[in-house]
Amino acid sequence: MIVKPKIGIFGLTGCSGEQIVILNCEDELLDIAGAVDIRVFHTATSDNDEQGPLDIAFVEGSVVKPEEVEVLKRIRKRAKLLVAIGTCAAWGGIPAMHNELSRADLCRAVYGGEGECFETIPPQPLRAFVKVDYNISGCPMEKDDFLRAVPMLIHGDLPLQPAYAVCTECKMRENECLLVTRGQLCLGPLTLAGCNARCPSYGVACCGCRGPVDEANVASEVKILQEKGFTLADIHNALRTFAAPAQALEKELSRGITG
Amino acid sequence: MSTSIVIDHLCRIEGHGGITVEIKNGKATRVQMDILEGTRFFEALLKGRIYSEVPGIVSRICSICSGVHTITSQLAVEDAFGVQVTPQTRLLRDLFLQGGNIESHALHVFCLALPDYLGYSGAIAMAADHPDKVKLGLELKKIGNTVQEVVGGRAVHPVNTVVGGFGKVPTADELRQLRNKLVEGLDLAQTAVDFVASLETPRFTESPTLYAALRPADGSFSLLGEQICLSNGQAYPIHEYRQVCNEFVVPHSHSKHSMFNGQPFMVGALARLMINGAALNGLAKEAAQRLGLDSFTENIFHNNTAQVVELVYSLEHSIQLIDELLQAGVKQEKPVEVKVRAARGTGAAEAPRGILYHSYTFDEQGRLTSADVIAPTSQNAANIEKDMRVAVERLAGEPKEVLAHKLEMVARAYDPCLSCSVHLVDLTNG
Repeated sequence: MIVKPKIGIFGLTGCSGEQIVILNCEDELLDIAGAVDIRVFHTATSDNDEQGPLDIAFVEGSVVKPEEVEVLKRIRKRAKLLVAIGTCAAWGGIPAMHNELSRADLCRAVYGGEGECFETIPPQPLRAFVKVDYNISGCPMEKDDFLRAVPMLIHGDLPLQPAYAVCTECKMRENECLLVTRGQLCLGPLTLAGCNARCPSYGVACCGCRGPVDEANVASEVKILQEKGFTLADIHNALRTFAAPAQALEKELSRGITG
Repeated sequence: MSTSIVIDHLCRIEGHGGITVEIKNGKATRVQMDILEGTRFFEALLKGRIYSEVPGIVSRICSICSGVHTITSQLAVEDAFGVQVTPQTRLLRDLFLQGGNIESHALHVFCLALPDYLGYSGAIAMAADHPDKVKLGLELKKIGNTVQEVVGGRAVHPVNTVVGGFGKVPTADELRQLRNKLVEGLDLAQTAVDFVASLETPRFTESPTLYAALRPADGSFSLLGEQICLSNGQAYPIHEYRQVCNEFVVPHSHSKHSMFNGQPFMVGALARLMINGAALNGLAKEAAQRLGLDSFTENIFHNNTAQVVELVYSLEHSIQLIDELLQAGVKQEKPVEVKVRAARGTGAAEAPRGILYHSYTFDEQGRLTSADVIAPTSQNAANIEKDMRVAVERLAGEPKEVLAHKLEMVARAYDPCLSCSVHLVDLTNG
């Protein structure tokens, strides 16, 4: 008998977007479920194995509650490969946009005095706490990225990430340039490719939801945007939206806070 | 004699939550729906943002409801700045919302709720014995997603719907192809009605229930409307939504609870049918009759069947919307231009799980100064606890595991969305 690879699909704090993208693989879902042994998937089943070893753990969401640090460490311990799915898990995502603000103040603002019992920590990507073997970023992750990665990961291979930006994909689709021609605040030049320039192809500026590409030239993008008339505050707001904890953006963003 | 039931992790729902119940001498002394999803504090993320960025950020509150969050947010922004969108945009938005309703209901009915009725742990386990049922659900779900992709550019966190209109209007050809799929879907939905009609609906939570749903000025069955109608006959314009949802913090939940005059109420597919069901027509009306939803019911398990009726409605209505769009001739319109001003605006729409409200204030540069988002699951939370209390007292003699499973079924019947319920934004007094 063939032993099927054991898979776990987990969600920390987030919108469940990646779990929904997995459930949105309507044509492939039953095949995937036949090829692997899904041991954990709380959103889809009540029969979950909370202890046993896993070949691959897919984890979405960012770490927001203190107990999630422990949950994540337990997942890491039982999994051969840990894969961060979605931008929250890979980069911190939208919840990590303003980690410079005090959590206690935020809690009081939303829940008043009664909310003081709710424990929260500044949202962080998974790699802040455990070793992550592979990231499938995107808000949400692209269905095709997931479907391509699963068979490779099962065989222990880590799929290659594009070494170019959304901007390159956009040029290949021959879209009109939203940044240069239409003067929009487009983050295509800084953002990891893989979505086939989804937003700019609808005439909507890239908001950077896949996180920064390697060696993103942040300073140059900021300069162009300032020349186009955008204020530093608006540029920084856009940059911090999905991947504020990313090293590539941190330096530029801290310039905004101190300056 | 006292006993307690603690379910740490409620499965087959969106998000993280549990149930805690304490029973003493057959009376429920404590009944809690514990919503412990982490808090993301969206208000801090929105403050200071330009109006055009707001819908894309609030969409991330929840993936399943990302479409309706985006549209409701755009309605609130447009209300603030007095933007009038074109009739074509209104039709396309309605179509887009119907897609979300189809996707969400198909997922909930077939993959999350049905396993309870047929005795399985989930859809994948159920597929081994009932592949046709699971495939039927997935096919319907896919059609809902296709609508969201064609109109909104993506099934989760749409990209193409913007303040004032659409980035790129779908072509007549794309709409015609979509229509063909919807026609196929309508056949599938009829099969779903036949099948669901054969299932027995549990009745152990039946108890007096107050419903709330939106109603449009023309009185049609719709996912959009200007009035909040209650099943006791009262009605409020959507700007007065705070009159209906008086929110308060409860210590066991990261979600606030809502009461109307101290009374819990229910929003969602069942509420829409109970309030506006008489306005249904065509196949949806027949489906409501077949499933016994053409008369008043106070049984939350009918929310599962009400979602099946709405599957028929949403498919049928989507086809009508496409016909209307094609008849008028699809135009590549640019989004309506926005003139910003210091103002407050409110938007509301029917999410798959019930009424969703967004309300914002902006300064004279169009930057957000305060925001308030009330999602359906936080409105339902108090009613879920009411129904669980009824169930506990009626079933007090049953073995603990049986009772625990039945309480899970009660919570699941509401199709709760815990990400939405927690990540509400509240910077009121603005």
